[in-house]
Amino acid sequence: MMWCRPLAVVALAIIGMASIPPVPPAPDVDALLRHLDDLYRSKSSIARIEIQVINPRTTRSLRLKAWTRGEEHSLIVIEAPPREAGTATLRVEDNLWNYLPRIARTIRVPPSAMLGSWMGTDFTNDDLVHESSMRRDFASRVDRRSDAPAGWWLRLDVKPDIVGRWARIDVLVSDDDLPVEERFYDRKGRLARTMTFDEVRPLGGRRMPVHLTLVPADVDGQRTEMRYLEAQFDVALPEDTFSLSRLEQNR
Amino acid sequence: MTTLRIAWRNLWRNPRRTALALAAIGLSVGLVLAYDAMLRAVGDWMVETITGPLLGHVQVHAADWRKDRAMDRTLRRAGALCDAIARDPDVGSVTARVYAPALAALSDEGFAVMVIGVDRARETGAARLLAPDAPAIEGKRVLMGRALAETMNAHAGATIAIVGQGADGSLANDLYTVAGLIETPMDLVNRQGVIMALGEAQALFSMDDEAHEIVIHARDAARVDAVAARLAALPILEGADVLDWKRLQPEMVSMLGVVEMAWLLILVLVFVAAAAGVANTMLMATFERTREFGMLLALGLRPTRIVAMIVAESVALGAVGAAAGAALGIALVAATHDSGVDFATLTGQGTSAISAMGIRWSLRMYPSLAAVDLVGAVGAVVMTSMLASAWPALRVGRLQPARALRS
Repeated sequence: MMWCRPLAVVALAIIGMASIPPVPPAPDVDALLRHLDDLYRSKSSIARIEIQVINPRTTRSLRLKAWTRGEEHSLIVIEAPPREAGTATLRVEDNLWNYLPRIARTIRVPPSAMLGSWMGTDFTNDDLVHESSMRRDFASRVDRRSDAPAGWWLRLDVKPDIVGRWARIDVLVSDDDLPVEERFYDRKGRLARTMTFDEVRPLGGRRMPVHLTLVPADVDGQRTEMRYLEAQFDVALPEDTFSLSRLEQNR
Repeated sequence: MTTLRIAWRNLWRNPRRTALALAAIGLSVGLVLAYDAMLRAVGDWMVETITGPLLGHVQVHAADWRKDRAMDRTLRRAGALCDAIARDPDVGSVTARVYAPALAALSDEGFAVMVIGVDRARETGAARLLAPDAPAIEGKRVLMGRALAETMNAHAGATIAIVGQGADGSLANDLYTVAGLIETPMDLVNRQGVIMALGEAQALFSMDDEAHEIVIHARDAARVDAVAARLAALPILEGADVLDWKRLQPEMVSMLGVVEMAWLLILVLVFVAAAAGVANTMLMATFERTREFGMLLALGLRPTRIVAMIVAESVALGAVGAAAGAALGIALVAATHDSGVDFATLTGQGTSAISAMGIRWSLRMYPSLAAVDLVGAVGAVVMTSMLASAWPALRVGRLQPARALRS
């Protein structure tokens, strides 16, 4: 039986190798992040989104329509519930304005209120303004391989001269280049919140996770869920879509 | 009795010496009492300044509100809670508040503010949040901190938009008229505060009869612990957070402790100096009369009688001096108790208040005395004079008459 042994070893080795899927080459991080940024915005977009704010005491729903152009222009108009309908937020570069139909006023959000909640959700005003600055403000690299789901953990560390909320963001991207999870660490290195992406389906001519959940780490039972109901990408938008005058008469 | 009579007569055999001793004792007691009264003034002043306007002696919140100040962590049936709390005999005043972070805007520029919904009448008074001459705030009329108004470039009569988040998560927004600008003892209120009627704040932020905070002032600041304990045990407050100001502001308490310790140390020094003066006077008075005692011994007086006489003299001297000193101290305190002592004029500085730790501290303090201070100071001085005479007296008891006469 001695002759069997080397054969068995070889056989085992072959089986062993076969059971480990070939490790794909590490992705180009920069291209991947650009792809992620593009996924929900593209050159321009129009989307209808439902938001649910859930805490142990209450649940609240909002439906809104959002227009975006490039990375620095967006307009969000609340469509429901009726009490808040018509309330709108305009973002142009680092500026944020809210339009309040009830009192017919437009108010610019001051820097000191940037970390305040946006419309009572777990998103902050700052999230709206800085959603696109990941690639600019962070040094990114591939951190490690993820098995389930198959993909890569990317690690983004804030550049030394940037003053911001996050010291580090970990992003899990699946092998089909879709976001799965983002973990945000604050300046003290504590996990502050987690964003998960699921329910991948075709929408507006592309496959994307249409359900996003934002869970703050420090509040039990609190989360904000966001579901894309409709989306169109790369549509032509009138030049004045992202102007204060449009903000005040957009219905 | 004879001893005491002789002692009293002895005292006035040398009126100048006795008058000097009395003056020394009286002045010491008077100054110790005056200092003691100032110590009380500083203590009361610090507690009053810290707890008066905003903090209160005891606060009630919904559980966990202090952690995240979430708009929807409210105390329900705030009116009924206040009524139940007011029934406690030691409770002086109760008032409910709403706290809501919001944006305020005169034109389109938003400013972060804190909307505070208050019961105007109950927040008004000396060392309270609102001065009696602050404008009324019914309906859509609000008060604004002066520093905030300067930042926003707002003035009385202006219309401001207020935007925030309701307790139910909905958007709260409305227009208000600035009824007046206020300067409160609290920097936070001056810099960020928009003061609104409680009912209006509840309506704006989608709250029923709800509040974020109930503030209680006890009738007597010294009994706060007991009041807080009793309130915490009220069935209607079950599940709520009931905390006295010492637990709400531990850093203030430690600051207060340091200041009081410093004053107390000086009190000890003043007292030791006073006691040394008394003791010295008594010692000298006894040593001076060695010849006289020798004579009495030679005449056949028993040493114990002499010792008793000397001690009686001392106690009489001490008691009369202490009484005079107490009168002096009481007069000093009575003269300043109501009007207070203005440290600004004493230090010759122009300002009548200083800002520290987010609070404006008026520099006027109100001295006061308790019976325990009087009894303590008088008792201690009488004891000191007695002890100070005991040693020379005992020495006299062992005196050789012949040698004493020759000294």
